[in-house]
Amino acid sequence: MNKQFNINELQLKYLELETLLDITNELNSFENVSVLLQEILIKSCAVLNASSGLILMQNNNSDLFQIEAEFNIDVEALKGIIFNKKKGFFNEVNQNRKPLAVEILNDPFLSRTNCTFGLIAPLLDKKDLVGVIVLFDKESRAGISSFDDSDTNMLSAIASQAGVAYNNIKLMENIKEAKTFNDNIMQSIVTGVFTTNLMGEISHVNRAAAAIINLEREMVIGNHYDYVFESNEIINQLISKCEEILATISETQIQIDCNGKSTSVNISVSPLLNDLNEPIGSVVAMEDLSNLDKLKSTFKKYVSKQIVDQLLENEEMLNLGGQEQEATILFSDIRGFTSMSETMSPTEVVETLNDYFNLMIEIIFKYNGTLDKIIGDALMVIYGAPNSTDKDTENAVLTAIEMQEKLIEFNQLRIINSKPPITIGIGINRGKVISGNIGSRQQMNFTVIGDSVNLASRLCSVAASDEIIVSDAVWKQVKINKLFKGKKLSPVKVKGKLKPIEIKEILYNRPAFHYEQAFEKIESFLITNLPPKYTYHTIHHIRDVVDQAEKIAKKEKMAKAEIEDLKLAAWLHDVGYIWEPTRHEARGAEYATTVLTALNFPKAKINKITGMILATKIPQSPKNIYEEILCDADLDYLGREDYIENSNKLLQEIQLNKKITELEWLNIQDKFLRAHHYFTARSINNRELKKQERIRMIQEQIKTIKNGTSRT
Amino acid sequence: MSSFIKSTKEANQIVIIETDGYLNNEGGEAISAICYEKIKGGQHKFLINMAGTKVVNSIGVSILIEIIEKLQEVDGKIGYYNLAPIVAKTFNIMGLTKYSTVFATEEEAVGAL
Repeated sequence: MNKQFNINELQLKYLELETLLDITNELNSFENVSVLLQEILIKSCAVLNASSGLILMQNNNSDLFQIEAEFNIDVEALKGIIFNKKKGFFNEVNQNRKPLAVEILNDPFLSRTNCTFGLIAPLLDKKDLVGVIVLFDKESRAGISSFDDSDTNMLSAIASQAGVAYNNIKLMENIKEAKTFNDNIMQSIVTGVFTTNLMGEISHVNRAAAAIINLEREMVIGNHYDYVFESNEIINQLISKCEEILATISETQIQIDCNGKSTSVNISVSPLLNDLNEPIGSVVAMEDLSNLDKLKSTFKKYVSKQIVDQLLENEEMLNLGGQEQEATILFSDIRGFTSMSETMSPTEVVETLNDYFNLMIEIIFKYNGTLDKIIGDALMVIYGAPNSTDKDTENAVLTAIEMQEKLIEFNQLRIINSKPPITIGIGINRGKVISGNIGSRQQMNFTVIGDSVNLASRLCSVAASDEIIVSDAVWKQVKINKLFKGKKLSPVKVKGKLKPIEIKEILYNRPAFHYEQAFEKIESFLITNLPPKYTYHTIHHIRDVVDQAEKIAKKEKMAKAEIEDLKLAAWLHDVGYIWEPTRHEARGAEYATTVLTALNFPKAKINKITGMILATKIPQSPKNIYEEILCDADLDYLGREDYIENSNKLLQEIQLNKKITELEWLNIQDKFLRAHHYFTARSINNRELKKQERIRMIQEQIKTIKNGTSRT
Repeated sequence: MSSFIKSTKEANQIVIIETDGYLNNEGGEAISAICYEKIKGGQHKFLINMAGTKVVNSIGVSILIEIIEKLQEVDGKIGYYNLAPIVAKTFNIMGLTKYSTVFATEEEAVGAL
């Protein structure tokens, strides 16, 4: 062989150095461990003339190695081999942390490669063995040989570099994994979180925050919080303050409006600090209260606001199980509702019950009662459970009285609307009960059970319409503060009790007929029920008559009570138009009799009211001063400036049934006005003159029309 | 034929050998076996397409040098193309490029030889 062509040692060293340099330069460019290991293995084999090689890395969870890179080797032959780091040559490398050139024929693992020589170098993470590079059979032109010291040093150098690169990649992977982990947590938590940097720009927004502020994350990131929350000054103020004082600040239940969406949130802003405790921005957490609000609103259909808040603050109250305690139980039910409902449509039954329950439950919650059950038309209410106060029994009685009082007002509206009134009986008892959440995990109800509950129910049965019956236990508690009047009733025998039970009726003021409340409800009834086709007999005309009746009555120096009666008649004088326009006075009088009787209006005065209504029939025929006043008030406009406006409305209404010419209408007015006369001094003095002027004008118009017609 | 030799063909009296895998002792010997046989048959020009060879060791290079020496005796030539950068670098360091030529493409190589 020509000597000039021999590969000399210098060239080989040069190649080794270049390879090492290449490895050093390239190692940090890899982002993937598998690619890195494969590249290291190939270069190691090439530079050390190894015929083949493997890189084994330790399994994260055991002492076993697994093949991560292979070169020029039949890995199928190695399948099933357990590479234990604590056995064979691996154990030696593990102990010494130094490369090892060996004959592998006797190694339990490596002998399966069908190679003869091996060079094993440790891959270290600091001082921990994380893997090994194994090169097999050093090649020469004469065949294979063992690796020498020079090879060992070279592989040691490569392995050191590889270890550093491997650790760097692992570190990067861990950082990425941690970032992904954090991102996933941030994205999955229901609390809205965003961060700002030192410049005030939003640097991170999680999914929940984007949903709360109703903006895409991409539209928020990079923008200053002042801009993003332009219309939510409170958020900007909180962040600014946090930046200034470097402490966590928070606000509860604030309303934020973003991009057309309004959300109620709890918000807290904390400074974001680096390792040196220096501020690098702020982190804002927003808790969306929408669901909590929905939950509260659902709960509040059953218990008072105070109890909802207590339950939400103290979840232990929701545990199944029970305790014995004192409580006051109120039962109420509607008297005769079953027979009443037989005359009503199902819709009316539901509407009636809903109106009634809405009114009653509002009162129950006002006095901190817990609505236990609605049983048909009956209510069961608990006072003192789950939480007791020294006012539980007093609250129960106050509830009962207000229920009865409000029902009177409720019935006024029903009566005026020609609906049957509702009456209730109420029974209240106090005693030991077992209270708790009874049911299954899926559905549980807070309730109380026991003899005391049964007795309350029995007392309710004993109570007649409008009555409140309480047990002796209740009376003993409430009589001390002398808030209530009680009437002793004969002891009653109730089911389940051997001895008759001592009972008291709680007395309450049943208010006399209340004119203003009645006026209000009649007005509402008229607005709802007067046929809209009428242009004259409207609520405006009725209000005008009421107003004029009051003015005339005051001029006549009538007493206040008499004025109230007059106004009542005025409110009712045209009510008959709802049913029978042609005989509306008679129909109105019938309605007034029925309604006023049901409203406990003094019977002696009902005739006075109906007399006034009937007197307004044309031609007017008043028989007393009250009737005269109402008649004058009804036609007051005949002598007023707004006569034309009113007469046009009347014409429009008359023309609903019959077409009338201008001349006909003028003649009707002329005849009506000439036949009419005022009865009261006030109307004669204030309206008659104007009315006469109006007659002359109308007659002039009639002449003009007639003349015009005759000329033509 | 060794699995290292992917194919052989002839163009313009040039033997073109396509390799695949590690150019080590085994790969080198596979090339030399073909070359020596062709030299005996009177062919003196060889091209090696190394597109499939990404790794080479010094033993593989030393075998190529042996082939060059043999070709010098018969006034023959050998060239290479489609070299991976690391293979080209190794050929350069080991002095192979002083006695043989690395081409960019087969066309260029066939034209030059």
